[in-house]
Amino acid sequence: MSPSAGAGLELRQLCREVGDRRLLDQLDLHVAPGECVALLGPSGCGKSTTLRLVAGLDPASGGQVLLDGVDLSDQDPGERQVAMVFQSYALYPHLSVAGNLELGLKVRGMAPRERQRRIEATLELLQLGELRQRRPAQLSGGQRQRVALARALLRQPRIVLLDEPMSNLDAQLREELRPELRRLLCGHEQPVIYVTHDQQEAVGMADRIALLDAGRLQQVGSPRELSTNPANRFVASFLGRPAINLLAMEPGRQLGLRPEHLDLGDDGAVAARLLRREWWGHQQLLWLDTPWGTLRVLTAPEVPTPREPRLSWQRQHELWFDPQSGARLRP
Amino acid sequence: MSTRTSSLLLMLPALLLLAAVFLYPLLRYSWLSLHASSVLTGLVPVPNGGANWGRLLDDARFWTEAGQTLRFALCSVALELVGGLALALLLNRPLRGRGPLRALTLLPWALPTTVMALGWRWILNDPHGPLNAALRSLGGSSYGFLSTPATTWFFVVLADVWKTMPFVALLLLAGLQTIPADLEEALRLEGANRLQILRRLTLPLLVPYISLAVLFRLAQALGVFDLIQVLTGGGPAGSTESLALYAYLNAMRFLDFGYASTVMLATFLLLLVSLGGGWLLLRRAGLERTSERPA
Amino acid sequence: MAARPLLSSLRQQPAVLGLLAVLLLVLLTGNGLRAVQAVAAEPVPIRVLMPAPLADAVAGPVARFNASNSGVAVEVIRGPLDTETISDLAISSLLLGEAPFDLLLVDVSWLAKYVAAGWFVPLERWFGPQVLAAMEPGARLGNGLGQHLWRMPLTGDTGLLYWRTDLMPRPPRDTAELVAISRDLQRRGKVRWGYLWQGRQYEGLSCVMVEMLQAFGARWWEASTASTVLDSPGAVAAASWLDALLRDGVSPRAVANYAENDALQSFAAGEAAFLRNWPYAWREIEKGEGPVKGKVGVTPMVGAPGEQGGGTLGTWGLSLIKGSPHPEEAVAVIRWLTGPVVQRQLAIEQGYAPTWSQLYDDPDLQRQAPLLAVQRQALQHPQLRPLTPAYAQLSDLLARQVNGMLTGQAGPEQTMATAQRQSLQVLRSVAGTPGRPQQNR
Repeated sequence: MSPSAGAGLELRQLCREVGDRRLLDQLDLHVAPGECVALLGPSGCGKSTTLRLVAGLDPASGGQVLLDGVDLSDQDPGERQVAMVFQSYALYPHLSVAGNLELGLKVRGMAPRERQRRIEATLELLQLGELRQRRPAQLSGGQRQRVALARALLRQPRIVLLDEPMSNLDAQLREELRPELRRLLCGHEQPVIYVTHDQQEAVGMADRIALLDAGRLQQVGSPRELSTNPANRFVASFLGRPAINLLAMEPGRQLGLRPEHLDLGDDGAVAARLLRREWWGHQQLLWLDTPWGTLRVLTAPEVPTPREPRLSWQRQHELWFDPQSGARLRP
Repeated sequence: MSTRTSSLLLMLPALLLLAAVFLYPLLRYSWLSLHASSVLTGLVPVPNGGANWGRLLDDARFWTEAGQTLRFALCSVALELVGGLALALLLNRPLRGRGPLRALTLLPWALPTTVMALGWRWILNDPHGPLNAALRSLGGSSYGFLSTPATTWFFVVLADVWKTMPFVALLLLAGLQTIPADLEEALRLEGANRLQILRRLTLPLLVPYISLAVLFRLAQALGVFDLIQVLTGGGPAGSTESLALYAYLNAMRFLDFGYASTVMLATFLLLLVSLGGGWLLLRRAGLERTSERPA
Repeated sequence: MAARPLLSSLRQQPAVLGLLAVLLLVLLTGNGLRAVQAVAAEPVPIRVLMPAPLADAVAGPVARFNASNSGVAVEVIRGPLDTETISDLAISSLLLGEAPFDLLLVDVSWLAKYVAAGWFVPLERWFGPQVLAAMEPGARLGNGLGQHLWRMPLTGDTGLLYWRTDLMPRPPRDTAELVAISRDLQRRGKVRWGYLWQGRQYEGLSCVMVEMLQAFGARWWEASTASTVLDSPGAVAAASWLDALLRDGVSPRAVANYAENDALQSFAAGEAAFLRNWPYAWREIEKGEGPVKGKVGVTPMVGAPGEQGGGTLGTWGLSLIKGSPHPEEAVAVIRWLTGPVVQRQLAIEQGYAPTWSQLYDDPDLQRQAPLLAVQRQALQHPQLRPLTPAYAQLSDLLARQVNGMLTGQAGPEQTMATAQRQSLQVLRSVAGTPGRPQQNR
């Protein structure tokens, strides 16, 4: 994924301050045409702030938003040709499904015939034809989300922004919808930014993930890159479940070991005692007491637990961090 | 069955209260409106064969004042709605000192009407009021604002608007705050300007609140009494007299309680008709707005 | 028929009984108290409610009366300026049952309503027929109702016709002459308008109508049937005459919006040959520096050829409120305030017409109040407005209809027919039965 220079969406040194609170601190991010980048992070990390800055709903305190090399900073939200799907879907409650789709086209002064054509096509695409006369209140959560998507895609936007579009849906529906969402959104002309706090969703949806914490970008890269080669302790512990084990084995160095990378046997380096066992999907999660504290170990269910278990791991899986700054220490 | 009984029992006090303060006077007025009850009958109700109603139908003063009252109510409520909406939109914006500003706006509403009306009468006094003082200092001469029907009518409406606009604004502000911000943002992203957002989104969503304000204010304005009684006494030459004032005059000046009841009852009926009409209009407007479909 | 006691029907029976008990107690102990008071020579307070201008006019005599140490302290309450407002004020306190005043200055047009409400004490005990006989005939009217005297008149004002002495050798003798002189003067460019009067929709127009009905031999009120007779041929003729004044340009169209002062201003500016107004207007013209100062004569209202004209009676008088704790002292105040001393001063200072014949014979007063002779003449044939408690409603509808005619909404015949129809409806609605006999004058 190597974008041609200038094409796509580029955020440069983007800042947002409210009072003396810094919500976003010098964010640099590039999203190529057709690429889907997930903004991931805990709540309050600045991911929704970024989205609103790109949309133009809030003014930036510094930095630039460029689309295909053109600075959007002076453009009103309406001029930026941004489509946004809100967490709440923001469907107009007084209008039918068709009315929700139409209003945006109407305010832009599109001719009725053309409006009609586009609406029909979009309703078709999202299989909403039968619901066209329903009010939002008469729709299920999934249907509402589809209407919100339809409304976003209807105008053939130059940028697509999604703000936690699935957080109001139940888990099963979320998994079902993910491929459909990808099919509809990604791989077209537009750069897509997808805000979520759910790493599963980010991993499933995005080409790349930008992980934010406290208004700062921690790391950006493919899901695999982020989990195998985290830039710091925050990235390492935010991604991957069960969370990474952090061991203060040596002074001045902290060792991170993912639960799935620990092996349980009779001849490991570390002696341990089994505290607790719980099911983690189809695997088992063991809680072990060791000289360096309690560790989590993920194993296949059929793996037996020795009477006096010992832990071992492969060197390549070791992740070393600075205990104070959390920065990754490379050998 | 028992829940039905107990719910009836629970409602009984409220129903009794309603009957006492609403139904009883209504029935009493209805009965009295079929009788002569004045100084001429020694205030003893004497059946007069519906003469009160015949008189009412032919009473030029009643119908003139019905027109005046309706005109006053429609103008006042329309202005209050427009002004109140503007005020509500302003107060809904993130302004510095918004809290005190909101409280300040409510001040005229909190003032007792009689006090407010006396204040206006003083302002408009000819020649001692501040308005005339200002006129003179600008080189003009004093003007009898309350002795010309047109200016008097204007100031009666103005005083009413000044007093009750905050109430309308408050009601609409409550409505505005129920509209999620992201709806407006979504429409902004679709390229709508402020006016379009107001027309296509805010107003349709405010329809229930606007209806409430209009119906409530219409009912109040059609029964206007204290403001006019204090500010103009119905004058000059009866040009600002309202139906409520006429009913009052029949009882208190003419000592004619039979006809006063008739006027009161007729006013009440006109009010019901007006409110019913207003409600139907609003409902139609609301339905039109909310059932927009692709052309 | 005697007036019905309104108060007792307003009150609940037990309340009345309780009140009577209290009253009895007060009477029993009160006599003793009064004796004590007499010893202490504490003056008895008597409160009089009057419209502000009249209150101011009698302030001097009242101060002298109080200084004369008669054992009574008169306190004049200055009421609002407006006649209707002061009546409203009086009624609202009278309805509550305890008026904060002993005497009320009553306009002739309110009397019937107050009497019917039972708020006054008859005065014939103190003022017998011989007292009224000493008054000019017109001044005696509008004080009695039923077999009782309810009011002692303080003033004897009537509507008068003002004319320009510089434009004609003598005043017109009848309505036809008035129009003829007007048109002649207008044609010759001497004046813009012929006749100015009050055509606005208000009580003043009713007063004009009373005069016009009289002028054409018609009447508004038939006391024997207690009903109106506004659709008589004479009444239509009266309305037609007013209508024609506007149509022929003898009076300006603006008359339909004129009250007393509007007409006076225009006349004082020299715009017209004739004016209908009250006595006060003469002093207003004479005290200014207008173009017609010293060129204005006054005459009683004229009638149609062969008919006796007459001015509307607009008199004030004092009535004693029922429940006054000091009726004797209050009557003494009435006697003083309506007596020749006060009336003389009112005539000199304010131009009010006296009621006592002796004052009209006083050469000194004749000199100081030049209108006196005309006022006396006018008091020989004045016209009363209908003496019925429903007068305010009848007046309102008549003024409304006639004003409608003046602004071109209906012809005279239809106007008077409508007024008659509406009047009967009002009477039926107010009294229960149409034309039911009520009080006789």
